[in-house]
Amino acid sequence: MFFRSIKGLLPALLGVGFFLLMGAACLVALLRYSELHAWLGYLQQPYLWRVVRFSLWQALLSSGISLLIAIPVASCLMHRRFYGRGALLQLFSVSMVVPTIVAILGLVVVYGRSGWLSQFLGIQVPLYGLTGILLAHVFFNMPLAVRLLLQGYDLIPAGQWRQATQLGFTRWTAFRWIEWHYMKKVLPGAFVLIFMLCFSSFAVVLSLGGGPKFSTLEVAIYQALRFDFDLNKASFLALLQVMICSLFALLVYRIAPVNRQDVSLLALTRYPLKDSYWARFADGVALLCVFVLVIPPFVAIFGPIFSPLFFETLQSLALWQAVLVSLQIALPAALVSVLLGICFAVLARFCMGRPYLAFLPNKIEHLGNLILMVPGLVIATGLFLALRDVGWGLPSSYWIVVWVNAVMALPFVLRALMPVMYQQERRFRNVYLSLGIQSWSRWRLEWPLVRVNVAQALGYALLLSLGDMGVIALFGSQGLVSLPLYLFQLIGSYRLAEGSCVAVVLILLCLMLFYGSSRFVGGKVGGVNVKN
Amino acid sequence: MLKINLQYDWERFHANYCVNIKPGMTTLLGGSGEGKSTLLHLLGGYLEGRGELYFHEASLLSLPAYERPISTLFQSDNLFPQLTVWQNVAIGVSPSLSLNREQKEKVSWALEKTQLVDKVKRFPQALSGGQAQRVAIARALVRKKPILLLDEPFSALDPALREEMLYLVNEVTDELGLTTLLISHLPQEACLVGGRVILIEQGEVIAHEPVSVLSQPEPHALFSNYLGVGVSSRSTI
Repeated sequence: MFFRSIKGLLPALLGVGFFLLMGAACLVALLRYSELHAWLGYLQQPYLWRVVRFSLWQALLSSGISLLIAIPVASCLMHRRFYGRGALLQLFSVSMVVPTIVAILGLVVVYGRSGWLSQFLGIQVPLYGLTGILLAHVFFNMPLAVRLLLQGYDLIPAGQWRQATQLGFTRWTAFRWIEWHYMKKVLPGAFVLIFMLCFSSFAVVLSLGGGPKFSTLEVAIYQALRFDFDLNKASFLALLQVMICSLFALLVYRIAPVNRQDVSLLALTRYPLKDSYWARFADGVALLCVFVLVIPPFVAIFGPIFSPLFFETLQSLALWQAVLVSLQIALPAALVSVLLGICFAVLARFCMGRPYLAFLPNKIEHLGNLILMVPGLVIATGLFLALRDVGWGLPSSYWIVVWVNAVMALPFVLRALMPVMYQQERRFRNVYLSLGIQSWSRWRLEWPLVRVNVAQALGYALLLSLGDMGVIALFGSQGLVSLPLYLFQLIGSYRLAEGSCVAVVLILLCLMLFYGSSRFVGGKVGGVNVKN
Repeated sequence: MLKINLQYDWERFHANYCVNIKPGMTTLLGGSGEGKSTLLHLLGGYLEGRGELYFHEASLLSLPAYERPISTLFQSDNLFPQLTVWQNVAIGVSPSLSLNREQKEKVSWALEKTQLVDKVKRFPQALSGGQAQRVAIARALVRKKPILLLDEPFSALDPALREEMLYLVNEVTDELGLTTLLISHLPQEACLVGGRVILIEQGEVIAHEPVSVLSQPEPHALFSNYLGVGVSSRSTI
């Protein structure tokens, strides 16, 4: 019986095995080119410690501020129904995967020296430096934090809201006795995720850092690879980054409570709480933060659509070549990422139902998330070296970019897929077992229930790959110019107006693909409501 | 006196409840899906209905759930798993859990009444089903609301424990002069708690009689369909 199940698991095992093999090949290749005796010398460089200190500081500040704003915003979105709430949630899901370079452009238009804030209110924001980095990180991560916290709200049994209504809880008492209890379970994970994203932030620091004073480890790795081609230093910096991230994650997970759904037999219904002027005021302030921090850069991005230059830019051949390259990278990368995610999910839930393997699902999920600790640039370099060793040199660049984009999107894919896959396993495991339904037959039955999440995963992977400005920056000069790189080159040559138009094309492409993914993979009405 | 004249529509289900209920125990009987829980949810303020709902001549219909003079015990999810037994009871007196001496005494009284004094520091997960429902009853006691709605809260308990709980509810109802509405599928439970019975069919109150109708040798005309043949002998067990 066990071996028959293993046979059905073969594709998933192969997928995860390939992922591990590529990781190992990358690590071995990097270590082969390392000179360990030189590492001690790096440790004594004051520049290194300044970079480490700043990387930690900006990541801590960015994740702290993002979560501080996200908590009241999530609570407000949970309890209030207002016009535009749905649109705001959609915007949040898009903003975390908006191409970094496009968002940076939006931030420059709003907060830059001659930006909207300066023009209309006379307020000068020192955008280049820590402020700019924080603004960009909050722009990206606060919406992500809100979405993660809202997932935490889903853990609250509906029966608790019903009791809260009966007992006359105010928003504050509900937050204190119900919401905070569940937030505590979600916050450490959210904090680690955002911390790691900010710690390994590349394009934001490169564009808004304003100089070596505000450099991070990721940028230092890029400089070591791109300008010095110092593999030894790059390996050292990469390992240092992985170590810091691992230590941080271990520390936070050690103190974090277990995330567990309390049992409730009641279907989710809205139960209103006692409202007050204070609650309305607090919600107003929370929403104002969103409108100030997230909305204006979005509006700014779409500004050039009405200019004549936009139509001129549309006629540029280089633009459409870049669009083609972006699609050639994003489509296979997203597909690989989702397939990998499904392999991880299938393996994790196989372990769920077996007492002797019950400790594994979390570990498997963490394995997929580990990629957040490893800089994409380093994976790309390791792979390039490994493939060069086996005789595939420059022609492998394209596939390296595709693979690295696929694995970098994996944590997001897992986040979208895993909850629903676990839920299906818990609810129907015994039915499937008793009827002997396995592998493809099971997939066919489950598809209507999971397709919305698969579409979401595919959408995220598509957007992340389309907006990638990390790996492509490394391999860009090999005739592989994607839209973000093209945009970066335009900004670098001070063709800002043209760059803005390209940014609009990039964002429209993102929206089209995200919509296409939701519509064609997710289904007409978003598939079957899994909550029912 | 609880005066009910409520209408509620949901898809093809149209309910029209019209009945006056006196203080004491009243058991709501009826088949599955006939609208017993809907009535309790309308009374509790968890569903929005049309019509009139008066208690001692005061209209309750426009009041939110927390302002109605009603405590409801549901089939599940009555307790907060993150709070201790003491906190779960005390939160019924003050949602902020900052209690004065008098309120603390009230909580102690309710815990004594429900024999939970030695369990105050436990969390709901560490309680048996019967103990957990006693905590919910203790909370209903401290809230001192004159109407108590019981939406099959004891259905998951074994028969002996269920009986014990029903005695407790009966005792509390008598002692505090409550208007208690109990949903049940079992006529013998109605016989156990006494008072009156209401029969609900397709969202309407078909009968409202003393509980003695269930133990008559010949089934009451309005109840015969629900009770079926030979049930009168079962209900006297």
